[in-house]
Amino acid sequence: MGERISFHQSLYLREAVDAAAAAYREHARIEVTAAEDTVVVEISDVVEHDPKTVANAFCNHALHETIARRREAPPEEDA
Amino acid sequence: MPPADTEQRSRLGFSLGPDQISFEVDESVYSLEAIYGACYLFLEKCFVYLSRSKPAVVDVRLTARESATAAQLDALAGEFGNELIAQVSRLRLSQATARIRDYYTAAALRAAASSPSVDDLLAELESEELLEDPLEIMVPWEEKHGAKANERDPKNDPE
Repeated sequence: MGERISFHQSLYLREAVDAAAAAYREHARIEVTAAEDTVVVEISDVVEHDPKTVANAFCNHALHETIARRREAPPEEDA
Repeated sequence: MPPADTEQRSRLGFSLGPDQISFEVDESVYSLEAIYGACYLFLEKCFVYLSRSKPAVVDVRLTARESATAAQLDALAGEFGNELIAQVSRLRLSQATARIRDYYTAAALRAAASSPSVDDLLAELESEELLEDPLEIMVPWEEKHGAKANERDPKNDPE
């Protein structure tokens, strides 16, 4: 049984979660599925590391990618 | 994320878990931009996970990288709260001074675009009326005051 993490799409960018998944594929089996408001990531078959630590590090990576991508994006126009 | 009765609370009132501490952040008080700003600074210190259990509220969970006591977790969350306030202040200040920054940037660019060349400056210098001397700075002192001084000095009196 792996770690299951839900990333709310109002807080995490989908492409940021995908980037984190790509970065962690060499350490574990990562499955990404999109639900209504969330992106669900299932982390299993973790190699060499503690699965909890890998899951936590994955969350940090996804958040870092989200913040970096949002800062790179041009500011949204106010309505 | 209302705490269950059995949930352990920290001294500052945050929810404690094994090596982790959780709390809610009201988005009407702290913008998502400010929350991201604080999170960004904490990514190196601990593991940060954001979730949303209800609209306009962000649930923040900070997990220590090593084993941590309740006091250490409380301090971590307190520090995060302080950083949130700093981020909000910085953002508000940035928004409040955005127009004046734009103005100064535009003025600097305009000045740079229209700055005169060395030849222009030399031509301007040559065309200036350098001989105009309304304060008579170029007039020698003797010439300016010599006559009066001679009048007052009795030795210079011919009689």
